[in-house]
Amino acid sequence: MTGVEASLIHDTVAGLVSWQLVAPAATLVLIGLPALLGRPLAERTTTRLVGAGFTTSFLAALATLVVLVRRGFAPEVVHLGTLFEAGHHAATIELVADALSVPYVCFSTGLCALVNAFAGKYLHREPGFTRFFVLLALFGTGMNLMVLAGSIDVLFAGWEFLGISSALLIGFFHERRNAVDAALRAFTTYRVCDVGLLAAGVVMHQAVGSGDFSLLFVGRWPAATCGLPAATALVLALLLVFAALGKSAQVPFTGWLPRAMEGPTPSSAIFYGALSIHAGAYLLLRCGAVLDAAPAAAWLLVVLGAGTAIHGALVGSVQTDLKGMLAYASMTQAGIILAEIGCGLRVVPLVHVVSHAVLRSLQILRSPSAMHDRHELAAALGGPPGPGSWSVLGLLPAALTRRLYRVALDRGLDEPLVMQFVVGPLCRALTAAAAAERRWVAFLGGSAAGMGLPNDDGGTP
Amino acid sequence: MTAFENVAFIAAGTTVAAPLVGAGVLAVAGGRAGPRRVAGAALGIVLAAAAVVAGAWYGAGGAAFTLGDRLIGGSFLTVDGLTALLMPFIAVVDLAILLAAPRRALEPRAVARMLLGVATTFAMLATAHPALLVVLWVASAVSTWSAVRRSLGGRPTARVYAIVVGTAVILMIVGTVLLVADPPWERAHGTLGAVGGWLVALAVMMRKGLVPFHSWYPALYTGGPLAAALTATIPQVASYTAIRLLVGHADGVGPELVFLANAALVTAAYGAALAVVQRDARGLVGHLAMSQSAMVLAGITATEPMELVGALAVWVSSGLALTGIGLVVWVLESRAGRISIDTLQGRFADAPSLAVFFLLFGLASLGFPGTLSFVADDLIISGALGAQTHAGVLVILTTMFAGIAVIRGWFRIFGGPVTIDAPRHAILPRERFVFVGLLAIIVGLGLWPGPFVRSLDVVAHSVLAMPRAEEGPVPPGAKP
Repeated sequence: MTGVEASLIHDTVAGLVSWQLVAPAATLVLIGLPALLGRPLAERTTTRLVGAGFTTSFLAALATLVVLVRRGFAPEVVHLGTLFEAGHHAATIELVADALSVPYVCFSTGLCALVNAFAGKYLHREPGFTRFFVLLALFGTGMNLMVLAGSIDVLFAGWEFLGISSALLIGFFHERRNAVDAALRAFTTYRVCDVGLLAAGVVMHQAVGSGDFSLLFVGRWPAATCGLPAATALVLALLLVFAALGKSAQVPFTGWLPRAMEGPTPSSAIFYGALSIHAGAYLLLRCGAVLDAAPAAAWLLVVLGAGTAIHGALVGSVQTDLKGMLAYASMTQAGIILAEIGCGLRVVPLVHVVSHAVLRSLQILRSPSAMHDRHELAAALGGPPGPGSWSVLGLLPAALTRRLYRVALDRGLDEPLVMQFVVGPLCRALTAAAAAERRWVAFLGGSAAGMGLPNDDGGTP
Repeated sequence: MTAFENVAFIAAGTTVAAPLVGAGVLAVAGGRAGPRRVAGAALGIVLAAAAVVAGAWYGAGGAAFTLGDRLIGGSFLTVDGLTALLMPFIAVVDLAILLAAPRRALEPRAVARMLLGVATTFAMLATAHPALLVVLWVASAVSTWSAVRRSLGGRPTARVYAIVVGTAVILMIVGTVLLVADPPWERAHGTLGAVGGWLVALAVMMRKGLVPFHSWYPALYTGGPLAAALTATIPQVASYTAIRLLVGHADGVGPELVFLANAALVTAAYGAALAVVQRDARGLVGHLAMSQSAMVLAGITATEPMELVGALAVWVSSGLALTGIGLVVWVLESRAGRISIDTLQGRFADAPSLAVFFLLFGLASLGFPGTLSFVADDLIISGALGAQTHAGVLVILTTMFAGIAVIRGWFRIFGGPVTIDAPRHAILPRERFVFVGLLAIIVGLGLWPGPFVRSLDVVAHSVLAMPRAEEGPVPPGAKP
């Protein structure tokens, strides 16, 4: 290939990759800005704009895939520019089009476009209609940013978009206490685990002087290797695993996922059946070479993934609502996928992610009407249709089954343990500190100091 | 004196004179003059003059202008990068507070006091003279104390403020006297100067609300008028004083600055953690403000320009975002009284636009991508961790706790069953104008931060008296 041809291909890929990012981001601005100014767009305009954004992104990703396939999946690094520079630190916007990112964008934007079409009908005349689509566009932008990221800094930006859009959609029905509590629980878990990704970014910067994956990894995905010293690789891998555990609802952070089903069905499908739940898997696939360089972290991932799979299967088997059951089924598959990644597999988990996401999102989208159909069938037959399913649990001794049943009804052991030994003591300590602060201020200024007495701030706006 | 210098000095003088004139008009004419109109005109002039100051500094290639002898150290009138950065920022904050303020808060005498406070702050920004700084410290403290004391139910909080900040003022006076009595005061070589440096550091700690002298800071938000709390804390006069009196030693960072930095880091994490368990919206804003302002001081005590660039970026980004959150809370309170976050308040249906603005300002204070705070956090985390691992860990913990606190606050205020059975309280056009304007600055600088960060880099090098890579050595007179 001549230099001119290579340059032409690079420019083409760069343009296509830019479109994959710009299209959903432009949609976000186009529907978000009028809403911010108090003039939200009509429902049909909103869904068409969001649909157009995702479709454009999907087509651009498809075209990029064709180019990559013709070139044997040789990766293209796209430098979109430098956000800012200060001293030796430069925040560059690096994207990468390779065998991992481009197929992933095809599948994620395709799913987003389908869910957008479904949600347009499903949420018709819902009070938060525009809000839903703004958050969907934000999610799509974040997803593409995360998947196409060529550096950990850009990946972190997309990761943050995913987290906030996920939490706000769980709390979409804000007048329901359960929805609000579930959203706050999910966001808190995300935020705690985001510490891992933030710290991993810093470790990367210190280790290789940049957050660019091209400097950290040698070779093309999935055969890339990482040349970091063993200790640094271990620290980095553990931080990445920690970040992935929260986003993918793995042990000990499983509690938020079943509660997250409080959100509207379309967002549950796209977030917890398809894309958000696999964000941790994507992160570890992208940084798989670090896991290869840190076998202890990889084994830990296998143990946690397998443990989550067993936990999800066990707890899911006693769920009495369909969305809860599907949430635990998602958790189980996500656990298996992480265990596969820990075992050193790369392409198999990618295929697993795509197939699981497509199937699970279909199941979640179908769940409201499936229940309706089942009830109709049961009424027509005069009893539940079909025999009960067979379970391996039936082979276990009765005493053990009863104990497992009790554990499953309590949604496993991880959440109570975390609440009892980490969250509870921390909250109690902070509450006690806040009370001590109030007493100290009252001592200094008299009983009412700083206690929020009415003052002249109230009244006419 | 060059044309740029003339323009800069006249503009800097205008930033002080305009609010004084506005306060005078209000004092004479009272309510007949229309407090919002008079103060709005004065602060509009201040904003324009501040922009001229920044333009003159930029036009002169980032040089510092000084006027007056270095009498007992420092010039009476100083316009440098720090002035050029902070003047427009604080002018925007003050104007936003005035425009969004509920009508009832704009009693003529209260507005006149606010304008006097603004004049004091801008006078402080235009000087590096230790004696003048001390006088203005006292004036700004008295202005805040007076505003809190005269507010309904504000006396106990004013007492707390007087105890802590009054002590800080005394320490500041004694410390500065010792500093200037032991020349060259900038370096504090002698014993007297060293003691003076420590006393000034202690005064900064108190005025800044650092642990263990922090209690007055959130109490000012919960027990005083929000306008007084915001105008007293967002400009961060203590950080400014620390830069003018303590930072920039040619022989490295003094031990008092290292002590201040560590106290600031602990305060940042502690304030953010306490924000998670607050029971009312004002407490949340107060603790977030305490945490973010401490982060600024942690970066100011840097030896590397990048850390200082990060601190200055946090100064501006957190100031704008917290002003936004504070104003949204104030606007909400003007409709339905004090807001508890102990339980779900269900105000989304009542004020959906305010819910959106609270969320956006909250995200803008958390380092959310696309906002200025993302840039600021990136700079400060990279800078802090480059120097000390424990600093980086505390900064990361701070961002974690602050994030949880903001989203918890948002869900508690706006989530839950609708509790207000009344007509929807629509947002007023002037309120929307203020919030959209603040967001435009935050997002604009977040998406296109290059020129802003380059300007901060120039300021940081000038403060640390270090030459930038593309420059020669800084001339001896460059730093006041």
